[in-house]
Amino acid sequence: MSAPNEPIDTDNIPDAVVDLESKGFPVVWLLPLVAVLVGGWLIYKTLSEKGPEITILFETASGIEAGKTRIKYRDVTVGEVNDISFSHNLTDVLVTATMEAGASRYLTEETRFWVVRPRLGVGEISGLGTLVSGAYIEMEPHESGKPQREFRGLETPPVVTADKEGTSYRFRARKLGSLSVGSPIYFKQFNVGEITDYQLAEDHSYVDIGFFIYAPHDQFIREGTRFWNAGGINVSMSAQGIEVEMESLASLLQGGIAYETLEQAAGTPVAAEGTAFHLYDNHTQSLEQPITITQTFVTRFSGSVRGLSVGAPVEFRGIRVGTVKAIEIGKDPNRKGITIPVVLIDFEPQRIASFVDIDDTSTSDQRQEAFESDIVQRVEHQIMNLGLRARLQIGNLVTGQLFVDLDFFPDADPVTLVQHGKYPEIPTLPNPLEGILSGINKIIDKLEQANIEETLTNLNELMVSSNKLVSSLGQNAPALAAELQATIEEAHGTLSSLREMASTDGEIGNELYNALTEITAAARSIRVMSEYLERHPEALIKGKGN
Amino acid sequence: MRARDLGLASCHTCGLLLRLAAGSHSHCPRCSSVVHQRFPNSINMTWALLISAMAMYLPANIFPVMAVTSLGNTQSDTIMSGVIYFLKHGDWPLALIIFVASVLVPLLKMLALTYLLVSVQRKSPLRKNQRTSLYRLTELVGRWSMVDVFVVALLVALVQVGALATIEPGIGAIAFAAVVILTMFGAMSFDPRLIWDH
Repeated sequence: MSAPNEPIDTDNIPDAVVDLESKGFPVVWLLPLVAVLVGGWLIYKTLSEKGPEITILFETASGIEAGKTRIKYRDVTVGEVNDISFSHNLTDVLVTATMEAGASRYLTEETRFWVVRPRLGVGEISGLGTLVSGAYIEMEPHESGKPQREFRGLETPPVVTADKEGTSYRFRARKLGSLSVGSPIYFKQFNVGEITDYQLAEDHSYVDIGFFIYAPHDQFIREGTRFWNAGGINVSMSAQGIEVEMESLASLLQGGIAYETLEQAAGTPVAAEGTAFHLYDNHTQSLEQPITITQTFVTRFSGSVRGLSVGAPVEFRGIRVGTVKAIEIGKDPNRKGITIPVVLIDFEPQRIASFVDIDDTSTSDQRQEAFESDIVQRVEHQIMNLGLRARLQIGNLVTGQLFVDLDFFPDADPVTLVQHGKYPEIPTLPNPLEGILSGINKIIDKLEQANIEETLTNLNELMVSSNKLVSSLGQNAPALAAELQATIEEAHGTLSSLREMASTDGEIGNELYNALTEITAAARSIRVMSEYLERHPEALIKGKGN
Repeated sequence: MRARDLGLASCHTCGLLLRLAAGSHSHCPRCSSVVHQRFPNSINMTWALLISAMAMYLPANIFPVMAVTSLGNTQSDTIMSGVIYFLKHGDWPLALIIFVASVLVPLLKMLALTYLLVSVQRKSPLRKNQRTSLYRLTELVGRWSMVDVFVVALLVALVQVGALATIEPGIGAIAFAAVVILTMFGAMSFDPRLIWDH
């Protein structure tokens, strides 16, 4: 080692050993290549897996959490909620979500979203899994339609999802009844459809109910198919008695609808999607012909109309021809200041179109037209000339329901037809007395028909002859009476001696026998005498001649 | 006067002063260690490592560093989302530390190396002292960026409570570790004597 200040002996510095040069590509440059490839691939993979971002509007964000809630389709995750915010005027909740790659083609205007939460219904329990996993958003993808990135979420899960095949129709119902979304639709008690939605019509005149019939049952829905409300128990009390209708236990709880295609409607075309059907209140109603033409008549009853209800039948000799439309109070046109029950009845010619004349060969429609055109004149004619009258009859003895019976009473008091109100009037007969009166009438009729004159003549003759007898008897009475007195006294004596004899013991039997024989003989002679006297009363005076 | 100008170099291992032929690969005749006047291929090497680090820096910031799964809910966090999380909760000193150590420092390190490389390649004669200080700072500070990686490694090892909670490292953590290691190697492979060659 040399001291630091010593000059360096540059000549003694050894040479480094020269190595063989290794030429070629500097391996270090592979590193950035690999790094760029790995980084680029990672980024590409992430970007390609990242699907479109969508926004869904909900009323509430109940159960939805940013970064946690998933969007699923058939329980497969297809997206995730990124952010939850309010729409600009706080009316809605704006849920922003990132979808999986490849979801874009299913995000169209038809696509629907709804939140799956646990739900408890009468018919089913759904979404129980979300109790543990938390709510998620269900997507119903739809390929057709314009692509869309902003959606309005459904507040309630749709009953019918797009993967169910079938056809949807609508009802026009008078009332909702016990129906709800998901209520079943039965055909021969098979569940073939569901109620999908309902709302009031815009003018509130009816309830608009949407329903869905699954394939292949939908091809049997004809335009003439009749639907009726089969929910709950339908108990009706009418002149026909008590009726109870029930479809199934489920429909008892959540309502239901049943339908039937009557034979006469089987030829009508298959109903198109969205066809609106009338919803009948019950099966019985659905079977009736739809009544479109009515002619109202007014009937005024002098007695009570208790037991008559609106909707009660109006019958002509047992054939239904109409319906009681209203029961009101009105003036009695014959007696000033007296109010009496006024019953409006709807005469429904369609009910009896085929009964007008069964032998008529013209078509039902022609017959109906002809019938309708002169219904009022015809009824007036029948009232005037044939005695057409209305009366209340008891239709059902158990319930005491009344119905209006029309019949011909040729002997009814003639009436003058005066139209007091806007409806033509059919005169009436009183109700409770009517039966008794007609009975009495019949008795009198019978009596009239019998040969009273001859009977009276005979009776007269009989009276005359008996009169003669009585007067002759009156003339001979004292003598006859004296004789009778004697006879009685004698009999008295006989009887007293008989008593005496009877009181003594001994040969009383023989004596009694003899006495009885005597009495018999006496009685016989008395009879003979009386018979003789009857034939010959003059013998009392003249004596018994030969 | 530089050793290089006299064609001299000392062995890194045994300190023997040698006469070195310029631009040749040689080894020490006494201890057989490789001897060179400057790190061979220093600029190329540093550039390669620097570009690799830059390529890794992007995924390190985009991808989640770790995924926390608790009670079935998985939450993934990137470095920046963590910073934002702490900032939102008012923990700004912590946010600042994470931001400086994990985002700013690697970035500045890469920028510094780039500047040094470019200035050396352009044979810039300016601010040689400052550049040397910058290099020293770069080399000194670089290893502290590994804190993030250590935190993730520790949490992953500690928090394994089965179904209740698990923490898994994300791709971001690996990329971040790669950035730190590559910049450290980059800084090491850079020969600060090159600054003074011109």
